[in-house]
Amino acid sequence: MLEVEHLVTGYGGVPVLHDVSLRLGAGELVGLLGANNAGKTTLINSLSGVVPPMSGRIRFEGQDVTAMTPKQRVEIGIIQVPEGRLVFPEMSVRENLLLGGINARARAHRPRQMEHVLELFPRLRERLGQKAGTLSGGEQQMLAIGRALMAEARLLMLDEPSLGLSPLFVQYIFGIIDRLHAEGLSILLIEQNLNLTLRHAQRCYVLERGKVAIEGASDVVKDDPRTRRAYLGL
Amino acid sequence: MAEFLQALAQGVLIGSTYGLLALGMGLVYGVSGVVNFSHGDFISLGMFLCLALYSALALDPYVSLIVTVPLMTVLGGLVYWYLLRPMVGHQFLMVVQLTLGLSLVLQNGILMVFGGQSVRTPSVVESKLWILGEVVVRVPHVIAFVVSFAMAIGLYIMLRSTDFGRSIRAVHQNAHAAALMGIDVSRVQTLTFALGIGILAIAAALLLPGTPIQPSQGLRYTVITLIVVALGGMTNFVGIMLGGLIIGLSEAYGTIYLSDTLGMLLPYGIFVLIMLFRPQGLTWSSSR
Repeated sequence: MLEVEHLVTGYGGVPVLHDVSLRLGAGELVGLLGANNAGKTTLINSLSGVVPPMSGRIRFEGQDVTAMTPKQRVEIGIIQVPEGRLVFPEMSVRENLLLGGINARARAHRPRQMEHVLELFPRLRERLGQKAGTLSGGEQQMLAIGRALMAEARLLMLDEPSLGLSPLFVQYIFGIIDRLHAEGLSILLIEQNLNLTLRHAQRCYVLERGKVAIEGASDVVKDDPRTRRAYLGL
Repeated sequence: MAEFLQALAQGVLIGSTYGLLALGMGLVYGVSGVVNFSHGDFISLGMFLCLALYSALALDPYVSLIVTVPLMTVLGGLVYWYLLRPMVGHQFLMVVQLTLGLSLVLQNGILMVFGGQSVRTPSVVESKLWILGEVVVRVPHVIAFVVSFAMAIGLYIMLRSTDFGRSIRAVHQNAHAAALMGIDVSRVQTLTFALGIGILAIAAALLLPGTPIQPSQGLRYTVITLIVVALGGMTNFVGIMLGGLIIGLSEAYGTIYLSDTLGMLLPYGIFVLIMLFRPQGLTWSSSR
């Protein structure tokens, strides 16, 4: 479904990612691990099109999307749940969800899709009229995922969904991720939380200083001694 | 007492239009961080376009809106897309310089075409008065008041309950997140700027009847707009309309109770005082 080939991306002419290649099959849940500054967020942002690639190619369902704008990528279903959630704080939960489905493809199905999201997250239904900025961190994460589902994601990319959440909420959010995966959604999960990701993802890539250091099935990556080393940034 | 009520009426009526001028600037600042120092010169442009249409076709300023609003909206869009967009997000000072330059270009362009003398544009309602007890109000002021508030309410509803309005607020609150929703941020910024300039075309026609105009007046409107926006806390809708009323009222009371020249200073004095004690603007929260 997603093929990244020899991607080089950076800011102001200085590369952050060097020659990264990865694949994600339809319906797969793939983890992307790495220490801080390994380039995980840069990678997800170039998949979303907000950081333009310097070279390399990104293909989505056989289509070359390398030169597409962020808007066009959202319209074909590449949706990111950003790090730090980035809900619109001064808007209500309802308005945040409506904005999630603002793209041309999803716009017409918003009522149906909203019902689906509110079934998944009953808590959001209770908070529909509340400003998103007043929600707890866990509720904001629900909203950020709900907003991405409103966009009718075909590939859902989650950047650090467990960041700053209490263990109970982390459990809950990963339960949701498992459920979405079971429903057939393709998911790219970016995480710092090593054990949790290895438990939930089928395959994993470990990024180290902008390069793919290790890749493979989660059990294999788990037992590779290099994984922990890459993680500690040694 | 009669004087007091007279100034109250005049201040509220004119202040509402100042509020409308400032809403345009506040919206633009909110979505793109641009403070447009040529704001007042676009008002001038709107007024002189009305004058030109009167001279050529004997159109009343209110009728001229059919031409000036679309024209200035498109002009605003072009200015943002080709001049401001390449600069936005890089250097705030460069953007300020650019809009100052634009102000000089507009001002001198108007001077070249219309000359430097003060002129009036007649309107059918220009000298019509309503007398309510001891208070005399000019009909153009009443029209300005009604239209300004109607526009403000219309804008508010647009921002609250349309997809375009929600995208404007989304870009204001977090442009990166808005882009991830598939909102074309540059497009929203361009349309907002165009909308802001289109609003000025309307405000220009509202302020025009009975007011002598000259090419150099733009700066005064820019400064009034800036202080109204700052009073309102930059992006707060209600705060900006309130700021407009305060400036309108202080101008009216200043001219009646102080001398003509001293009176024109009063709004600026009040502005400095308010900023000393409430630098965040008049309203309580920074609601956007």
